[in-house]
Amino acid sequence: MANTMQSHMKKNTLPLVHFFLAFIMLLIGGTLGLLQGLNRGGVFELPASFNYYEVLTLHGILLILAFTTLFTNGYMYAAVRHTLGELSKTVKILAWSSLASFLIGSVLVVWMVLAGEATVMYTFYPPMQASPWFYIGLVFVVLCIWLAGLGIFISAFQWKRRNRGQHLPILAFFAVGIYTLVIFGSIGVTVEVLMLIPWAFGWTETINVMLSRTLFWSFGHTLVNVWYLVAISVWYTILPKIIGGRIFSDTLARLVVILIVILNVPGGFHHQIVDPAFSEGLKFMHVFMSLSIAFPSLMTAFAMFAVLERTGRKRGGRGLLGWLWVLPWGDVRFLTIMIAMISFIIGGAGGIAQTNNQLNQVVHNSLWVVGHFHITVGVTVVMTFFGLVYWLIPHLSGRVMTPFIHHLGMFQTAVWTIGMALMALSMHAAGLFGAPRRTSYTTYGDSATALGWEPYLSFLATGGTLLFFGVILIVYIVAHLMFFAPKGDTPFMDSRVEDNAHPTPKWTENWGLWVIVAILIISMGYVVPLVDLIENAPPGSPPHRTW
Amino acid sequence: MKQFWYGLVLFLFLALPPVRHLLESIMAFHMHMQMPLLFVSGLLMAPFFMKRFKNFFDQWNGSGLPGVILFLVIVLYWMVPKAMDESLEIMAVEAFKFISLPFLAGVPLRDSWVRIGKATESVLLLALAILFSIMAYLYILFESTLCNNYLLVDQKTVGWGFAFFSLCLILYLVLTLFTDQSQYYDEAST
Repeated sequence: MANTMQSHMKKNTLPLVHFFLAFIMLLIGGTLGLLQGLNRGGVFELPASFNYYEVLTLHGILLILAFTTLFTNGYMYAAVRHTLGELSKTVKILAWSSLASFLIGSVLVVWMVLAGEATVMYTFYPPMQASPWFYIGLVFVVLCIWLAGLGIFISAFQWKRRNRGQHLPILAFFAVGIYTLVIFGSIGVTVEVLMLIPWAFGWTETINVMLSRTLFWSFGHTLVNVWYLVAISVWYTILPKIIGGRIFSDTLARLVVILIVILNVPGGFHHQIVDPAFSEGLKFMHVFMSLSIAFPSLMTAFAMFAVLERTGRKRGGRGLLGWLWVLPWGDVRFLTIMIAMISFIIGGAGGIAQTNNQLNQVVHNSLWVVGHFHITVGVTVVMTFFGLVYWLIPHLSGRVMTPFIHHLGMFQTAVWTIGMALMALSMHAAGLFGAPRRTSYTTYGDSATALGWEPYLSFLATGGTLLFFGVILIVYIVAHLMFFAPKGDTPFMDSRVEDNAHPTPKWTENWGLWVIVAILIISMGYVVPLVDLIENAPPGSPPHRTW
Repeated sequence: MKQFWYGLVLFLFLALPPVRHLLESIMAFHMHMQMPLLFVSGLLMAPFFMKRFKNFFDQWNGSGLPGVILFLVIVLYWMVPKAMDESLEIMAVEAFKFISLPFLAGVPLRDSWVRIGKATESVLLLALAILFSIMAYLYILFESTLCNNYLLVDQKTVGWGFAFFSLCLILYLVLTLFTDQSQYYDEAST
């Protein structure tokens, strides 16, 4: 038994190391989140040597960039290995090089922030200027994504060559879509960082601020949808197995992946909807491009309701909503994902509101936005990731989840949900009343308006504290499932399609064509604003250090 | 028949005054959105005409080449900067744009597509890629305005649009020449 487990661990070292590092990042990032929440709630002041803005920068980078990237790479490599077979030597080298690149980049980035040389928030908007080594660190992080993607593409290509005429298994199809999208998205930010490095070294005097912001958001928004695509890969392919059902429609799932990949990148423009320098007509056109992403999301909602209802009825559910009550609410692997999906309805609605010019003006740069992405990322994406932990980590480590860990998982889910509800909803409310984001605690000289935010900020701090407790619990659960749970065999939870499902059309496999269509759509979205921003550029901004 | 209605709805939508005004207010939208969409509306409506006037198309476009040539003539005409300028100033030219791109470019090309061989398809794509590359070169690097109704920066934007259009055509050409595209269009499989 010990030998079997050791060979299990050895075979799965790659994803396990990714998960291990991801949850270390979550622990550190979560601790920083607690400090921020307590500061923002007015509980205590952070010292000048490690101020609110440094904490905020690190919190964002460690959770938004590091945790999600490491988790995605770990999950996707585990999924590809399971569905396509053993990884080739080249792919393994690429995957480990990707991790090495990530570690080099992270060390540089974190070092610079801790040294007080890069308090520029995770969006690193110029004209705030960090040390050039911060930007060089980011280059390594992007390289990590490209190397990981290359490994996935090679695996898929090798499998297709061995299995001519067959469809790529659905999870591997998601993997190809996810890395295609993130590579497309990262092109803009790569160009931006390559402009920022000479500026930070002092080789160029000024920087085009609007151009940098636009290139950043072609990445920033795409990254959000990459996490979303990772999350829905779980909803489509793993959730049905957990509840004892089947995939509703293989074709629909693949079409959703294709649509998200080809439509997504221009959507980033709505993050700049109140930025100057863009004409109203252009913003109006971009609302269509941004909202087009809602279409595959609605298709996903339809498919998920279909899976849940069909399975619920198979389990004996009767009547209009009877199928809902018979779903396995007591199973932590289901409960986490279900809460994630429900929160996406709320997060998605908020996102659509923010895409509109007039509504965006009410909430732009307010705490509302922070509340919005804590719901979409902190619940929709992260809860889905947590849902994977309970079976994927024991599957990889050759162990089984104990009833105690299951109960602890249910408790963790409750703590996380209540914590995030308290924090995110109070952020939404405070934002609507005008509380700005990215600002340490202040009462603005005891102004009546700012004092009116106080109750919400107290809730924010309380929610943040609960979330920190949730982080401790999930890290303990992960460590237990990875190193201490009883040995045993936990199966991989991938689902099958319905027996009477329609055959999947072969055109879905035409990735070459989808890549060309994506280039066309991206150029439709970005040629007009980019040429305008370059040709009509102002003199540019010298660097500023606000800290 | 469904396609015909989709094409007709798209055509009528593009003809609505506010839509026309918006799309023609920015040169890139005019050249790279309104005109291609008019062409697409013709592609969608084509099966109706191909069925309704089958004998005419069989006689006139038997080899597919006349349709391709007509399509190229219309596309070439609309590449001339003066043509775009006149469509903004002379109603008859605007009307000609709404007739020529769907009915004299979209419809004949779709009819020709089923008649011409793989080699002609590739030559046509290559010709368009070359044409758009020349247009990109011209619009990006020309130092005076080619269209009186738009600014120099609009012109450069259109040039970059042509460059990306051309890139996509070349990539598609490479894809069709070096991969077996028929594998993606056989009957469905599980």
